Amino acid sequence: MDSGRMDSVIGDVLRYGVILSFAVILAGTGILAIRSGASGISGALTYNAGSIPHGNFTVSWAGLVNGLLGLQPYSVIELGVLILLATPVSRVLASVFLFAAQGDRLYVYITAVVLALLLFSILVTPFIPLFNA
Amino acid sequence: MIVLEFVAILLLASIFAGVFGSIVGLGGGVVVIPVLTLLLGVNIHFAIGASIVAIIGTSSGAASVYVKDRITNLRVGMFLELATTSGAIVGAALAAYVDSSALELIFGSILLVTLVPTVMRIGEDMPKNPELKGLSKRLGLSGSYPEAEGREVSYNATRPKTGLFGMVIAGLLSGLLGIGSGAFKVISMDVAMKLPMKVSTTTSNFMIGVTAAASAGIYYARGDVDPVVVAPVALGILIGAVIGARFLVRARNPTIRKIFAVVLAVVAVEMILASQGVAV
Repeated sequence: MDSGRMDSVIGDVLRYGVILSFAVILAGTGILAIRSGASGISGALTYNAGSIPHGNFTVSWAGLVNGLLGLQPYSVIELGVLILLATPVSRVLASVFLFAAQGDRLYVYITAVVLALLLFSILVTPFIPLFNA
Repeated sequence: MIVLEFVAILLLASIFAGVFGSIVGLGGGVVVIPVLTLLLGVNIHFAIGASIVAIIGTSSGAASVYVKDRITNLRVGMFLELATTSGAIVGAALAAYVDSSALELIFGSILLVTLVPTVMRIGEDMPKNPELKGLSKRLGLSGSYPEAEGREVSYNATRPKTGLFGMVIAGLLSGLLGIGSGAFKVISMDVAMKLPMKVSTTTSNFMIGVTAAASAGIYYARGDVDPVVVAPVALGILIGAVIGARFLVRARNPTIRKIFAVVLAVVAVEMILASQGVAV
């Protein structure tokens, strides 16, 4: 595989991730607008951002799945944000395989280390007290 | 504030942030955070949560264009990501023990100083092409990209270790302050590694998404990602990033450098203001 082909595959990974997350967040926003419109509060609904306590939006996988099954707008938006978050991670994962296909071992190692650091940071550090002091 | 008005202001500000962020290699937090805190009265924690989503959006949205157009240098980006991701993790671990206002004052001042070499090179199209040798050669840190008028331009990177060191600092700052630190990334590639301006800003753009993703887990787990704030930011920033990326592909290096110099001054002033207690 030449490097031009690699650019094209990585470009595609980023593009589809972005398009998918945009569509899902837009859908969530649409549901939010329709639901608040239906309850007759859309125009007057006030969003007092300053009064919401810090750390109010904890998410759990179970809560997310339940919310999605009930088409809860916040859960749909959260899914879209998670897809957006997964996009750079997928890009790094794809590069590991693309460098392997090019036979470039040095860069397979480099990207694999970056992927490991990234997964450690996203999946493990939230559970280590040091990072939440 | 009425939701519709809140969403409209945030959407417009985010489009603007996406356009400029994608051109100069920043994530757009420099626009999104002050709009949220100063104009819309959002808690700084939610503003940082939204800014991280904005950074990932600008990065992925713009990079999807730049990578296909072969302007981003993938090898330079991936090699330097070793430093930014490890720096970001260490920074996040130290965040509770470090006085962030002192940090902001120091790094805001450093950015002001780096305005000098940036402004002195205004008008420069291509840096003097250094010979490819040593570590740069072993890592294959060279490349070429199609200029606006179709001419293919080739370049070599120099001083990869200095660049790597700059990226450790950029990563530490990302973890410590919850920022993309795109300005430090562009400066490391521009001043230390002597890459063409377009390659520096687009490769920075490519990298900031990974740096921000590294800290996103922590902000998500803390419950600082508010869907009402994040949805318009994500939508706006993605639209803006694609518009900005189309502009950059056709723009010339000196134009990008001029825009970068202005944004750099704004970032520096904002950091110094933040150190004095203004929530930006």
